[in-house]
Amino acid sequence: MKGGRIVLVVDDSRVNRLVLARQLSGMGVEVMEAENGREALDVLRDHTVAIDTVLLDVVMPELDGYETLAAMKADDAIRHIPVIMVSGVEELESVIRCIELGAIDYLPKPINPRILAARLNASLIAKQLRDLELEHIEQQRLLTTTIERQRLELSRFLSPQIASLISSPDGELMLAGHRRLITVAFCDLRGFTTFAEQADPEELFGVLGEYHRMMGDAIVEHGGTLEHFAGDGVMIFFNDPVTQDDHVERAVRMAVAMRERFAPIAAGWRKRGYELGFGVGIAVGYATLGRIGFEGRYDYGAIGNVVILASRLSSQAGANQILLSQRAVSMVEDLVEVESIGDLEIKGLSRPVSASNVVGAATR
Amino acid sequence: MTESNPQVLNEAVLEELEASVQGDRAFIVDLVETYLADGASHVVDVVAAMTAADASALVRPAHTLKSSSATVGAERLAAMARRLEAAGRSGIIEADLGDEAARLDVAWDEAVDALRAWIRRGEDT
Repeated sequence: MKGGRIVLVVDDSRVNRLVLARQLSGMGVEVMEAENGREALDVLRDHTVAIDTVLLDVVMPELDGYETLAAMKADDAIRHIPVIMVSGVEELESVIRCIELGAIDYLPKPINPRILAARLNASLIAKQLRDLELEHIEQQRLLTTTIERQRLELSRFLSPQIASLISSPDGELMLAGHRRLITVAFCDLRGFTTFAEQADPEELFGVLGEYHRMMGDAIVEHGGTLEHFAGDGVMIFFNDPVTQDDHVERAVRMAVAMRERFAPIAAGWRKRGYELGFGVGIAVGYATLGRIGFEGRYDYGAIGNVVILASRLSSQAGANQILLSQRAVSMVEDLVEVESIGDLEIKGLSRPVSASNVVGAATR
Repeated sequence: MTESNPQVLNEAVLEELEASVQGDRAFIVDLVETYLADGASHVVDVVAAMTAADASALVRPAHTLKSSSATVGAERLAAMARRLEAAGRSGIIEADLGDEAARLDVAWDEAVDALRAWIRRGEDT
């Protein structure tokens, strides 16, 4: 039998307690004694001792075995401690009631030491397993709390789609890299560099904060995946990691919403002497997406011509312009009203690119 | 041994008990002394309850006496205590309880004598 296990003997007869205590210590367990149920409950509820099994007499003064067992089962802190009833043959009816109430076994009086050893051993093993189980459940709970907290923190630092991708079963596969048709939207502010040079830091962060909040709301509303912020520049893509059949439309609607919301903000800035304009470039094409970076600092990013094109269109866009690549226009021409601005020379691309500005949503 | 008249002391019970504590006779002797000390007061409580015809006051001392008597092998006393416990539980204290009380006293004295004799015999060998 394992050392360090403590058995509580509850019996009103001192003679019986002496015999049981002596036999139990011969089996290598530590013994505590109680004269009646009330004393037994006091010992069980004492946090400084951990009882592993109770040997409980049925007929006792103060609080009898049945009442003691009922009190134990009603107390969450001690209900899991195994109880073996000890009784004379004429008390079998009470014993049956006790087993129905949750006692795990019974020992007939006079006690046969070998039966005592066998049943006690079984009970101590059951108790040990139960203790391990409780310990395991506690560890599991701590682990779940930690993961939940990390997930919450992740979702504050990353786009919600990326945070949930990391926690999802096929996340690893997606992060490892894949190719997909996406729509990329680049947004930035005209006049920002001049403004950044002239404004004091508080003013700069105030303006950027207001701008990012507005952008953030629009991105979330339209289901965009934010790839990064770089000062006034913001890159968003659609159709990844969550697939969206209407990814081009979503990007255009987001850009239009941003432009509308930007107007009152820009008016406020203008009163304070800052002339800032909003421009967007949108392109559609295949990109490679996944984990980009190095151990210690990875981003979920997109690589491909579509990214470069969107970025260049954005730099070419004038204040309040949303420039679409030819392919993007072809995919949303029924939904939006556009005006061609002709061919643009794009750095890094051999041929000029035809682009259109979004005037507004088409009337259906 | 019949239910109506079991023996005063079943020595086999004490011997088994001794074997169960690895032959620690000193422990058994202490145990019997404890029984004799506690048993005397239980008998007093039982007789008092019977004299007062108080059924509820009879149950517990009779139960404890029954249980500890059985442990040390005082079987005749245990059997009497069992009957008294049952009577107390049923709430019916019969008219002839006075005789029963006298018989309990006799049975107790017999048990004391038999247990003391058993201890002495052990000391002689």
